[in-house]
Amino acid sequence: MPELTTELRKNIEQLLTDQVVDVVIAFKKADAPLRPQPAFFRNLEELEDLEYNGLCQNNLANYLTRYPHDTKIGIVVRGCESRSVNALIVEKQHPRENLYMIGIPCQGILDIRKIIKKTGEDVTGYSEDGDQVSVVYEGKEVNLQRSDLLHDSCLRCAHPNPVNADVLLGEPLPDGDPTIVRLAIEEFEALDRDERYAWFQKEAERCIRCYACREACPMCYCTECFVDHATPRWTESDISQAGTQAWHIIRAFHQAGRCTSCGACERACPMDIKMTYLTDKLNNDMLEVYQFETGMDDNTQPPFASFNLDDKNRFVI
Amino acid sequence: METRPKIALFQCKWCLYSQPDQNWVDNDLPSSMYLVKLPCTGRINPLYILNAAQGGADGIVISGCLPEKCHYKEGNLSALRQHEEFLNFLDYIGYERSRVRFVWLDLQDRGRIQKELADFEAEIAKLGKAKVLATRTNVSPGGQYA
Repeated sequence: MPELTTELRKNIEQLLTDQVVDVVIAFKKADAPLRPQPAFFRNLEELEDLEYNGLCQNNLANYLTRYPHDTKIGIVVRGCESRSVNALIVEKQHPRENLYMIGIPCQGILDIRKIIKKTGEDVTGYSEDGDQVSVVYEGKEVNLQRSDLLHDSCLRCAHPNPVNADVLLGEPLPDGDPTIVRLAIEEFEALDRDERYAWFQKEAERCIRCYACREACPMCYCTECFVDHATPRWTESDISQAGTQAWHIIRAFHQAGRCTSCGACERACPMDIKMTYLTDKLNNDMLEVYQFETGMDDNTQPPFASFNLDDKNRFVI
Repeated sequence: METRPKIALFQCKWCLYSQPDQNWVDNDLPSSMYLVKLPCTGRINPLYILNAAQGGADGIVISGCLPEKCHYKEGNLSALRQHEEFLNFLDYIGYERSRVRFVWLDLQDRGRIQKELADFEAEIAKLGKAKVLATRTNVSPGGQYA
C-alpha cells in the first residue's frame, strides 16, 4: 500500500501548509513492524514516519475527545472510524466544522494474533500488495492471503466506506453483507440458556480488569467510569466472578446504539476475550427495534436518547 | 425448610396513588421482599437491576407509572426503552427474562401491587432459586460502606 501512504502524505502536507487543520491524527511507523502506532502530526517534518496499512489496529476516533472543541482536527478515517466520529459529533464531543475527515475505504484490519499463529512471535518485516501479505520471519519471507488474516469483526463489516468524509482516497468498495452479523448472533442464540451462560462465564472470567477495551473504545470517554467509582461502589472492581461479569455486561450495554462494531476492544484485549458477540447483539436489536444504525449520519440521536410518546403502546398493563 | 423466594421491588415513589397501598409497601412488605424506592423508574440504572440479580434476588419487580402520567414527564419512557433492551440482553447471555416483571400502575389500580407481588412470588417459587448471575459473595460487614 505504499501508493496510498504517499497520497495520504501529500494530502496531509497540503492540509497542514494551508492551515486547514492544527493537528492530524494518523498512524506512524513503530519499532515493531507489526504495530504501527497512532500519531499526531503538527508539522511537516514529522510526516516522514507516516504509515498506513492493514495493521493499523486502533480506532483513531478515540483521540478526538482529548482535544478542546476549538482545535481543528484532521483525522484519517476508515469505515468504522468515520461512523464513530459521527456518533461522537451527535454526542457533541467535537463540532463538525472543526473536523476534517480524510476517508480511506477499508479492506479490513489484519489480526496480529492470526499472523503470529501462522509464523511466530518475532516478525521483522511486513509488506502488502492487494490480496497478498508478506511477512519476514527468521530471515525468510512468508506469503499469506489477506482474507485469512482479517480480524473477526472486519469479516462481518457491512460498511467499509467512510461516511461523511471530506475527501476520499482510493476507490469506494462494495458494501458488506449485513446478514453475516446476524448469523453469528443466531448461532449463539440457538444454544440453550445454560450453554449461553457457560460461554459468557468462560469469556468474562478470564478478564484481568486492565480496562484496555475501555481505553481503546472511542465511545468510552467518561471522565469517571462506573467501575472506578469508590463511594458508592457500584460493583466489585476486582477479578471476582461478580465483578468481571458486571463489567462485561454493563460495558457492553453502555455501548447500545453507540457501538460501531470496529472491534478495537477485542484487538486491545491481552487475554483474547471475545466481546463483539455482546455488542453485535445490541446493535442488531437497535436496528430491528428502532431502525437505527450508529454513525450513518451526524444528527440522529441514538434510541436511548430519543425516546418519545410513540412507545406508548409498548407498556403492557 | 422451604423459604420464600427473595424479591427486589424497585418502586417509583409516585406510582402508588393510594396512600394505604404506599403504607403497605413502606411498612408491611414481607421480609423476603426488599424495597428500593426511587424518584422515578427513569432513575433505575440497569446496573441496579444487575446488582439485585447478582446479589441473590430470585425475582425483580419494577413498578412505575404509565406514559403521560410520569411525574417528570418522560422518565418512564426512557426507562422502558433501556430496561426492555437490558432484559433482552440479559436473556441473551442466559438470564431468565421471566424473573423480571414490570408493573405499570394507573390511578384506579388500588390494591393491585399486593396482588401482583403475590402472583409474581408464586411464579418465582415455581422457577426456583436463581442460579444464573447470582455470583456475589458477601463480604463480612465492617466499615461504613460494607
